[in-house]
Amino acid sequence: MAAIGSAVGLGNVWRFPYVCYKNGGGAFLIPYLIALFTAGIPLMILEFSLGHWSRSPPPLAFKKVNKKLEWVGWLSSLTPFVVASYYVVVMAWCFAYMVYSINLLWEPDAESFFFRFLGKTSGISEIGGISIPVLLGLIAIWLSIFIILYKGVDRIGKVVAITVPLPTALLIILTVRGLTLPGAIEGVSYYLTPDFSKLLNVNVWLSAYAQVFFSLSLAQGILITYASYLRRDSDISNNAFITSLADAGTSFLAGFTVFSVVGYLAYVKNVDINHLGIAGPHLTFITYPTAISLLPFASAIFGMMFYIALLTFGIDSAFSMIEPMASSLNRKWRISKFKATAIICLVGFMASLFFTTGSGIYWLDIVDHFIANFGLVTVGLLECVTLGYLYKVSFFREHANKTSDIRIGRWWDLLIRYVVPSILVMLLILSIVENLKKPYMGYPVYALIIAGALPIVFIVIASFVLQRVKR
Amino acid sequence: MSLSISAIIMLIVGVVVLYGGLAYFIYRALKSKKE
Repeated sequence: MAAIGSAVGLGNVWRFPYVCYKNGGGAFLIPYLIALFTAGIPLMILEFSLGHWSRSPPPLAFKKVNKKLEWVGWLSSLTPFVVASYYVVVMAWCFAYMVYSINLLWEPDAESFFFRFLGKTSGISEIGGISIPVLLGLIAIWLSIFIILYKGVDRIGKVVAITVPLPTALLIILTVRGLTLPGAIEGVSYYLTPDFSKLLNVNVWLSAYAQVFFSLSLAQGILITYASYLRRDSDISNNAFITSLADAGTSFLAGFTVFSVVGYLAYVKNVDINHLGIAGPHLTFITYPTAISLLPFASAIFGMMFYIALLTFGIDSAFSMIEPMASSLNRKWRISKFKATAIICLVGFMASLFFTTGSGIYWLDIVDHFIANFGLVTVGLLECVTLGYLYKVSFFREHANKTSDIRIGRWWDLLIRYVVPSILVMLLILSIVENLKKPYMGYPVYALIIAGALPIVFIVIASFVLQRVKR
Repeated sequence: MSLSISAIIMLIVGVVVLYGGLAYFIYRALKSKKE
């Protein structure tokens, strides 16, 4: 349940529907499902198997594989921690909008969201002041993460028992409401009508693999940590299938939630759907609230439902990003869980503060781009190479088979050793080429070095340092 | 406007594979728990 909570996050709502629409609509389901079964689920089984076998957080799990590999574990624990520092800021935006939705206090236009709410500056070099509503949301979210994590795995279990089913139920209610609105079918038609010619484009296939990879919380040490808490007789393979399909199923459902309401907005405003923002912050804080404000009745209730769903989807993902580091500090240096969690949350909060400034959204965009396209992909590649080549990958298959109802064959070894690394190398090359061709989003080179390259260099150096520091 | 046949087919594919698959694996998990 916790792994499902970690995998299902904000990205399922604000990224998948858009990626699907951009890459051939319904036809995208074909590469997406192939990516899920050839890369997502096999890599998840590997991470579950490593965590379950080692009963340790990532650094100690990799150390058990080979003493020299502890740094790979630190790398996969530090990466989600950096992601959490800005992910929590997006949750703070949702928190503020949830409060606003009580009286429909938001003004759903780009001007209001970016300039009045975030206090966005005219350029990245102008830092600007801290946005107070975002700061208050940030404090609330970091405090929640601390309270959930410091007591250990039992409290996580209790929290996810609410935060996994609740947003799913809310999403279903919002979808049903959306589908009953005029224009909804036109919206859904945009989402599902397949364009099979797109399947000939290699970028569409890479997008499918990237979507699966980022959505399932792979290469972030999270699944290794959670699997280390599983009972000895837990069914590893079945857990991997359930987690992956629940995540993909939520994304598929979110497509209906988003496109039905966007279709309604296009109908009311008499514009084409292409002219409305249907991804990322634009969808969540401008398009969706605009549509909600135009509902004939109960706008506040549906607005609140939407942001509660986002917050509860996000909170599981947020605390799962902190847990590998907290658990690693706790296990390696015997620092109490309370202290370890407090240190991590405090450092995370300080780092998050930077993203609440007027230029925060620019920095957030750069860090996210580089961590997702280089950090996570490199960690995934390292996992496949170290466990697939330097260690017998068949060992982890046999370990999974010992406890699993479904037996995995030798095909799994081939996927881990050849298919998944090849896809990750292609994703990495594509990202490098694109970033070398032109600076990302036209940002100045110094900003790309500070927010893009430096965090990655910091993570790599810190991983080796943490390996060297003795118990 | 209504959904095209191709969109309906993709809808059925998504529902069957994702939700059908999820239901199947949850069923297997519950069955092995009982045993």
